[in-house]
Amino acid sequence: MMEYRIEQQMELKEKLRILADAAKYDVACTSSGVDRQNRGRGIGNCIAPGICHSFSADGRCISLLKILFTNECIFDCRYCINRRSNDVPRASFTPQEVCDLTMGFYRRNYIEGLFLSSGIIVSPDVTMELLYQTLYKLRRAYHFQGYIHVKAIPGADEELIARTGYLADRMSVNLELPTAEGLKALAPQKQRPKMLAPIQQVQKMRTQNKEELTLYRHTQKFVPAGQSTQMIIGATGENDWQIMKVAEHMYKKYEMKRVFYSAFLRVNEDSLLPVLPGGPPLLREHRLYQADWLLRFYGFETEELLSEDRPDFNLLLDPKCDWALRHLEQFPVEVTKADYHTLLRVPGIGYRSAGRIVKARRLGALDYENLKKMGVVLKRALYFITCKGKQMYPVKMTEDYILRNLLDGKEKLPGTQAPLYRQLSLFDDPRFSV
Amino acid sequence: MIRVFQCEDTLTGILTGVYEAWDSRLGHDNVRLKTGWNENLELFCEYVQVEPDTKKAEKVLRTVRSRMGEEAYEMIGYASAYPDDRKADAIYRMIVLGLHLPDGKEVSRMLTHPDVQLVFELRRKAWHIAHRYMGFVRFRELENGVLFSEIDAEADVLALIAPHFADRLSGEHFMIYDRRRKKAAVHQAEGAWVILEDLQESCFLELSEAEQEKEFVMLWKTFHRAIGIDARTNKNLQASLLPKKFRSFMPEFAEMDNG
Repeated sequence: MMEYRIEQQMELKEKLRILADAAKYDVACTSSGVDRQNRGRGIGNCIAPGICHSFSADGRCISLLKILFTNECIFDCRYCINRRSNDVPRASFTPQEVCDLTMGFYRRNYIEGLFLSSGIIVSPDVTMELLYQTLYKLRRAYHFQGYIHVKAIPGADEELIARTGYLADRMSVNLELPTAEGLKALAPQKQRPKMLAPIQQVQKMRTQNKEELTLYRHTQKFVPAGQSTQMIIGATGENDWQIMKVAEHMYKKYEMKRVFYSAFLRVNEDSLLPVLPGGPPLLREHRLYQADWLLRFYGFETEELLSEDRPDFNLLLDPKCDWALRHLEQFPVEVTKADYHTLLRVPGIGYRSAGRIVKARRLGALDYENLKKMGVVLKRALYFITCKGKQMYPVKMTEDYILRNLLDGKEKLPGTQAPLYRQLSLFDDPRFSV
Repeated sequence: MIRVFQCEDTLTGILTGVYEAWDSRLGHDNVRLKTGWNENLELFCEYVQVEPDTKKAEKVLRTVRSRMGEEAYEMIGYASAYPDDRKADAIYRMIVLGLHLPDGKEVSRMLTHPDVQLVFELRRKAWHIAHRYMGFVRFRELENGVLFSEIDAEADVLALIAPHFADRLSGEHFMIYDRRRKKAAVHQAEGAWVILEDLQESCFLELSEAEQEKEFVMLWKTFHRAIGIDARTNKNLQASLLPKKFRSFMPEFAEMDNG
């Protein structure tokens, strides 16, 4: 049986409070991407879609025990709450404590696994070594088969990163700021090439590992759930086009599984940090995530959505509707005939419903009622599709008309209040609002 | 005259109903399936109660699996867990349809057919609930080392989530008790899981917990509170992703007793 040693009760609780609080700005909490059955070895398994175990008061999913190993840090990045010059309570776990917490929470089904990040204590090598020891203990002494996401520490020894990668499911390095200039201004001790080095290493080893796995089925898997990264949005002056270009580059060149975006929160008083009047730019973050899905699942390219002359997303409309309105010549699409990739581009049709349409229409005639049952959002799609040559309602295919109607649809948006009722006026037209 | 087969509201019950209805040789238009016993009776109908029979149900299930494929098998399994009066008849019609097609595997793709559509929809709903419970189930460790959990689910998800937990916690004794249906999934360490029915609620009222249980609940609450970002607080979003009905057994939503 397992043994729990929690002699210093108050102390562990206080550590957990400090180190969870310090880790909360990391966005990634996904437990997806690996399927691993237990088959009677130790404790735990992983399922590919991931599982959310709870939701915090900010509505974000809690799936992993997301903690820093320590919030001591030798760096002084201006945006970071744990920077050296900040006077905040500091704490460090021991590998044993992290194992106790992870196992105790996991058995009670509180979590899906561990997300271990860390401030840089003493040096990148020392930090990486501590993370490695923790993971080793968890995997080998406790036979933990659940999900583990761990940070690769830029500047750490390649050998250490490699050994850690064989114990983890996902590794990540946060880019933090989308461009090298931004990084120079706000995190002068970090260098872009140094941050990209572990990303390249993990990518290379993953490719090798995949080849080995085809030859020898029982080779140990290296970072099976892939890599992710994170960028802060709105701390420096980059526009959406630049950010999406970086994200696209990360997906294509480094085979990232996910890029996360985090609306800038001013946690430090610093003259170099912007003061954003409306609080964190949550709506902008939301549009970036929507566009990110268009890149990953819908076959869009950044260049189609944005350009140098139009570098920012329309905050009023989601990127797909926005794109469709500017390309009305490609619509309406006939749902009984159009191929999968064309269907994907229709607002209101997602990749799941597109798949269902393609499957179902081979075996029976489609109508609007069926489409609705398959998950198509007709409220948006009806302007862009025909079914058996007919529109759902007679609608005009003009940009103004569709825009006006789409905006009436009341999309639920983050960071906005419910609209107040106001007096109608003759000029009450979305085209006049800026 | 239509003969209505009233089946027990379980997968076994419904599949036995399918067997009996087919076996009655009255013609598919002259039979109907229904779950539950105390329905309003209709005119010009003859009501027959179907006793659930594992052997008959297994026969039907085997046929479905071999002739209509894994996908259809899963659709029927999940759909039967969702509380909906139309499910038994829809499952029957779907099986009839599937066995008359030259390639039975096509039936799971015939989403424009009303009965298949209904089974598909119920399967999606049941899967959704089951998937949520995979995350929201909370175990308490009892004095004897058994992990115990209570749920109060709309759909009969025990059989859908038990395999997941049996794999994950293969070395633990655990029990998930469905308060609404008075039944439980019970797993023995390194062993199989079973469903126990007709349990007495009173058995579960006074369970003594393991010593370290309070510690972990307190640590979990601390973590849960620390991980939220105040500047982004959005209770509406939290409530839509984790509705209140799930919270009653989740310790992080119970009152904080000591700081």
